Amino acid sequence: MELLVIIPLALALVSALGNNWNRWISLVFSLFGFLILLGNIDSVFASIHGDTSFRTVTDIPWLGDAIHFRLGVDGITGFLLLLTNILIPIIVLSNSTDKRPALIPLVLFMQAGLNGVFMAQDGLLFYLFWELAMIPIYFITLLYSERESFTTTIRFFVYTFIGSLAMLASLIYLGTKSVNGSFAYNDLYNVQLSLTESIWVGAGFLLAFAVKIPLFPFHVWQPNTYTYAPAQGSMLLSGIMLKMGLYGVIRWYFPMASESIDFYQPIIITLAVIGVIYGALIAIRQDDMKRLIAYSSLSHVGLIAAGLFALNSSGFDGGLLQMFVHGINVVGLFVAVDIIERNFGSRNLNELGGIAKNNKLFALLFFLVVIGTVAAPLTNGFPGEFLLLKSIFDFNTTFAVFAGLTIIFCAVYMLRMFQYSMLGTTSDNTENKTIPVLELLPLLFVAFFVISIGLFPQWYLDFFQNSSKGLLNIISNAKGVLS
Amino acid sequence: MIAISIVFFGALVLLFAGLNKEEGRLKTAAAVVLGIAGLAIFAESKNLISTESLFNWVPAGMIAFNPIAQVIAAILVIMAMIVINLMPAVNRKGMDVIGLMMLSACGGLLMIGAQHLVVLFLGIEILSIPLFVLAGSEKDDLFGNEASLKYFLMGAFSTAIFLLGAAFLYGGTGTLYFHEMLLRTSFSEHFGEFPILIKAGLILVSVGLLFKVSAVPFHFWSPDVYEGSPNRIAAFMAIVVKIAGFAAFAQFLASFAPMQNWYATWMMPVSIITVLAGNIVALVQTSYKRMLAYSSISHAGYLLLFLLQPIQENFNILGLYLLSYGLGTAILFYLFDKYAQSTDKSVDIFTGMAQKSKLDAIAMIVATFTVAGIPSTVGFIAKYQLFTSAFNTATWGVLLALVGSAISISYYFKPFRVMFISDSDSTKNQNFGLGDICLVGIVLAIIIMGILPMSLNWIF
Repeated sequence: MELLVIIPLALALVSALGNNWNRWISLVFSLFGFLILLGNIDSVFASIHGDTSFRTVTDIPWLGDAIHFRLGVDGITGFLLLLTNILIPIIVLSNSTDKRPALIPLVLFMQAGLNGVFMAQDGLLFYLFWELAMIPIYFITLLYSERESFTTTIRFFVYTFIGSLAMLASLIYLGTKSVNGSFAYNDLYNVQLSLTESIWVGAGFLLAFAVKIPLFPFHVWQPNTYTYAPAQGSMLLSGIMLKMGLYGVIRWYFPMASESIDFYQPIIITLAVIGVIYGALIAIRQDDMKRLIAYSSLSHVGLIAAGLFALNSSGFDGGLLQMFVHGINVVGLFVAVDIIERNFGSRNLNELGGIAKNNKLFALLFFLVVIGTVAAPLTNGFPGEFLLLKSIFDFNTTFAVFAGLTIIFCAVYMLRMFQYSMLGTTSDNTENKTIPVLELLPLLFVAFFVISIGLFPQWYLDFFQNSSKGLLNIISNAKGVLS
Repeated sequence: MIAISIVFFGALVLLFAGLNKEEGRLKTAAAVVLGIAGLAIFAESKNLISTESLFNWVPAGMIAFNPIAQVIAAILVIMAMIVINLMPAVNRKGMDVIGLMMLSACGGLLMIGAQHLVVLFLGIEILSIPLFVLAGSEKDDLFGNEASLKYFLMGAFSTAIFLLGAAFLYGGTGTLYFHEMLLRTSFSEHFGEFPILIKAGLILVSVGLLFKVSAVPFHFWSPDVYEGSPNRIAAFMAIVVKIAGFAAFAQFLASFAPMQNWYATWMMPVSIITVLAGNIVALVQTSYKRMLAYSSISHAGYLLLFLLQPIQENFNILGLYLLSYGLGTAILFYLFDKYAQSTDKSVDIFTGMAQKSKLDAIAMIVATFTVAGIPSTVGFIAKYQLFTSAFNTATWGVLLALVGSAISISYYFKPFRVMFISDSDSTKNQNFGLGDICLVGIVLAIIIMGILPMSLNWIF
């Protein structure tokens, strides 16, 4: 499994040597991760047959005896690896300009980092990959933003870096307490913390994850970064990168600082629900399509975070499924906006309209993604959001009512976006232009997942359901030790 | 010892042999001498060769290198070699600059090996006096003259304080050997208080050393001196002097381990202030060189946090940190020197760097990452180990140092703002010179040690 990290890294180096690869060659480069995953599919998803443990698959001493290059897999990790390695080819495919020679190497570099984050089974390795995934996205936004964006990118980097350092402090603290100073996942998990210690350690973890997710007051970096970053950068950030934060919460925060869950649970759920409504309300007023999607993403991710923190099985299942779905949908939306902007020269809703007239297929695909995001039944958004709302309902009815508003708000802003851009009268920009069919290819893949998850959610749930139950048991046991 | 002799005689030979030669030609000779010295002392640290019998005539125990001190000495010599060779030669007759730099490195080696206060004093002086001259080696530069004078006055001042402290320590303990100082007064532990003479002496000697490593509040000379000195001399001061200063400081403090609780009480505030002040003041600098000066102050702060613990067994962490800091800083000074052709010293000088030379741009990114401590570079490994080992003795200090690291990102990354702007009139630089080979080597070393830290076992 270490190949999932090494191969993309090597390919990134190879592709950095050449200039301007043809997009089909870069697509081949990016597909390697998916192929490796397919090759190991049985061992990665052993949880389907009942083995729910987080199994170590690679273990090499790395820095002294305490820190190993230790990778592990279980259903949850496998599911997110699947998401990463499906989305990366779609993102590479959607890049149709050859004016960004460094983009493909950076995306491959990032693929390595992301695969590493999801597999890391050693505290320091997790931090290492966490930062490694940051570096390429920093340069993607810095190099290819649509305008001078140093302030935006440095703000983004510093915010997330502060979070990461807080997490590093927590990891170091756990490391100094564990047996022989080991950073192995299980050794860190076995450290017994008092409630106060746990609250501090948890604060470090949560700061890192809350910035990355982003939760409501920590989202300040997000709208500008999503808006000014190149479309591929926004896809990487929203589609995969913020899943790192959610993954970190369930894999690292819950088990490591389980004593503090009772303390943070109401706070985080409140913030998340505030974020759900706040993001949705702002999205309704946006004219810039990218900014609209940024705020809608804030709203959707808030719901996932709230569901995960409700700490019940429907919340975990719904949250994990929705992580996948949100990744697919948000990438689909950014692809669509990218296509519109490239072909019609604008992404401002006031300057668009009537695109559907000449582009029936595009309109259909775009509409599929939109209703998927709105969570209409039989599309991919529905099962996940249903489970999430159910879990929040089990936790607290009032929160569930507020969080449930998101579906209505989401319908408002998403359909408004679709209507203003695709329907109505044509504007100067959109008159008599058709989109090349080839550019729709990434949207076709997205549409496949929109429909297949919507029709057969259990197929996808099976990948990780056993593992998530196992993890939930571990967490509630650890919580039970103290409370 | 062997390294000190090689560097010393090499420096003398080069100083006289090269009186009338052009500097560029004899740089290679300096590199060879320093390289041999570095290899010799490194081999000695691994017990591959033994030269102790050659130096029987040195009074026993005054100069002694334990294996880790030998590694640090090797790092110092190699850094001196890099600094001398990386920076382009000044086309002017006379080898005095390089000869003096080597002599100064010789003083640094003496400081690392010193086990006796007088030897430490000698080392500091041999390190500093050539630097007073070198700081003003651009004779027509007004700022250079200011730097030289300022450095001289501050150096003399700190030496006086150091000597006063040494006298107090002698008065309190009756010996000048580090390891004997607390032996004779070990009984005092049982009575709780250490004699006031020892405390005062320790404080004064420490202040003298804190001047040398430019810790806040004894740092005021360093930004001005760095800014006024020629670039490679500034790099030399930022790297070699700091390595020597910290190695000597660590050895000196290690022999006062029983007093660790006491000296931590006043060193802790000093180190925290150094971290925060260094980082925050660096944030508002417009001159890149001055920013590097403050960045080196903040690194001194991180290292001071490390010195608060009883450290006899953790010397290798100190060595690794100095190595990573030295490699990164050397590249940053080199690139600054290469691109600062006019009087402009702000980050704007790096405009279009990625277009002019891809190698320089990559080196810039890697060096920035390693001084900022971002994973995948050796800087991260070093910083992680430093903070982890200091965590228990200085928890709050480490947490504040993490905040400082976060702040440091926003000034270290400033060149990235302009590096990738492409302006049409800049031409591609095709020459691949000695400096570039050196650069490739350093960049590879930083990355390899960063992603395969097992390779460090081979060094330390």
